[in-house]
Amino acid sequence: MEIEFQRVGKKYESGHDALSQVSFHLRQGEMAFLTGHSGAGKSTLMKLIMMIERQTTGQILVDGVDLRTLGKHAIPYHRRRVGVVFQNHQLLFDRSVFHNVALPLQVSGADDDQTGKRVRAALDKVGLLGKEKLNPMALSGGEQQRIGIARAVVNKPQLLLADEPTGNLDPRLSSEIMNLFQEFNRVGVTVLVASHDLALVARMRHRVLTLNQGRMVNDGGFA
Amino acid sequence: MARPPQPPPRPAQRGATRQSQNGPKKPAWRTQGFDFKLYLRQHQAFLVESFTRLIGHPLASIMTIMVIAISLSLPGGLFVLLKNVQSVTDQWEQQSIISLYLFPNLEDTEALSLSHQLASRADVASVEYISKEEGLRYFEQSSGYEQIMSTLPENPLPIVLKVIPKAIVDLNTLPELQGLRDQLQGLPQVEHAQLDAEWLQRLATMISFGQRFVYAISALLVIAVLLIVGNTIRMAVESRRDEVLVMKLVGATNSYIRRPFLYMGFWFGVLGGLCACLCILLLSWWVSSPAARLIELYHAGFELQSFNAVEIILCLTISAMIGVIGSWVAVSRHIRDIELQ
Repeated sequence: MEIEFQRVGKKYESGHDALSQVSFHLRQGEMAFLTGHSGAGKSTLMKLIMMIERQTTGQILVDGVDLRTLGKHAIPYHRRRVGVVFQNHQLLFDRSVFHNVALPLQVSGADDDQTGKRVRAALDKVGLLGKEKLNPMALSGGEQQRIGIARAVVNKPQLLLADEPTGNLDPRLSSEIMNLFQEFNRVGVTVLVASHDLALVARMRHRVLTLNQGRMVNDGGFA
Repeated sequence: MARPPQPPPRPAQRGATRQSQNGPKKPAWRTQGFDFKLYLRQHQAFLVESFTRLIGHPLASIMTIMVIAISLSLPGGLFVLLKNVQSVTDQWEQQSIISLYLFPNLEDTEALSLSHQLASRADVASVEYISKEEGLRYFEQSSGYEQIMSTLPENPLPIVLKVIPKAIVDLNTLPELQGLRDQLQGLPQVEHAQLDAEWLQRLATMISFGQRFVYAISALLVIAVLLIVGNTIRMAVESRRDEVLVMKLVGATNSYIRRPFLYMGFWFGVLGGLCACLCILLLSWWVSSPAARLIELYHAGFELQSFNAVEIILCLTISAMIGVIGSWVAVSRHIRDIELQ
């Protein structure tokens, strides 16, 4: 999936300019990091791609489709094509690991056979195959993060968005998680990871987009 | 790690961009076939899941169900009462009589020919001719006023024709009989026509009053049940806020998110209705023995009626519908309000 921002601005109702004049083009199969200080607009940018928020100016094209042309009813179908790992919308602790990961499939109406296969494949990829019956509460922080990743990729999305996926993990676990994203990228998934862990980002050697107070100040070089 | 290779040119997608300028278009990924079997299976799963959830919070569920049951059993009970009153009058199979008091100056022959004339009418079964003398005899026998009567210089009683209509008097035929009475009243020979069903008229008025009363109470209580279900479901949605948010994030449509809550409303309705039916059956059973004694006293050949199968199904259908509608109203608003941030 390719994403193109053309002079995108987002002004919140409070008057705060979260993003202004942001332009970039993420090509099909590309992997990039989004960095910047907290409040620089990383999350807002991700939310615009997910259509959680709508831009106030400019144009966002996803596979050539202008998101402004998509009505309210198209939003769920748009989201099904995007896998997300968001900090604040994590796991549901009233159900097993399996059912957490299966949620995107159930929502889009997959049958049980397929759901079982795909969930196990996703859990296998993140190395949690044996733990599908457990409650996520019983797993460590790093494992919980990987459940979130499994849930994000179970639908075989063409785009993977991750907002601070290594937020509270130690360096070793963080690079494990990043390597996971890299693996998904290798099989053709477009990946965009927001992170403020500059050292880790630099080590990954991918394209880096840097936001500063809502503006794109760096695009391309390794941070 | 090497930079990703340059993407190959994608003429189709470029075309798509241009297309969007020409007019509205649907992204290809939105067109998906509708799988009816899958749809049914999903609904079945939701039906089971929402029931399991209900059982998961037994105390809260039972309280809601009981409130619904009590709210529904009141109009239901009144309905049964009304039905019984109606059935008493329906089974009263009584021949009604329209008494025609003829003008006193009418000759016997004229009265007799009127009597024959009336007897040949299609809606009249028979006509009994009571002469002035017979009338006097009846009067003396029944009232015990022989002495007073004998002191009168002449017989004050008119000739009376007792017209027995073909129709049996009950609430359904009452208007017809009243029409006949009015017709006979209009005859030139008749001074006064009386239908001896005044009590039935009064009862009919009372029943129609009772019906309206039951309708009004039912309407109020149905609204109450709607609000109860709505509020319960709203709280259920609120308690599953995180789940709703995650579902929205992974691309659930609002109707998909709504479904388990609608089924929950359905279960509340059905179970509340079922309890209401049980309440009514129990109540009918409880009053049945005093009612039987009462009926015995009046020698009336009728049985106390309760809810029959059709009415139970009707009651369950209505309560299920109330449950679904109540949760629909609450959920639709609430799910729209819960937005990702």
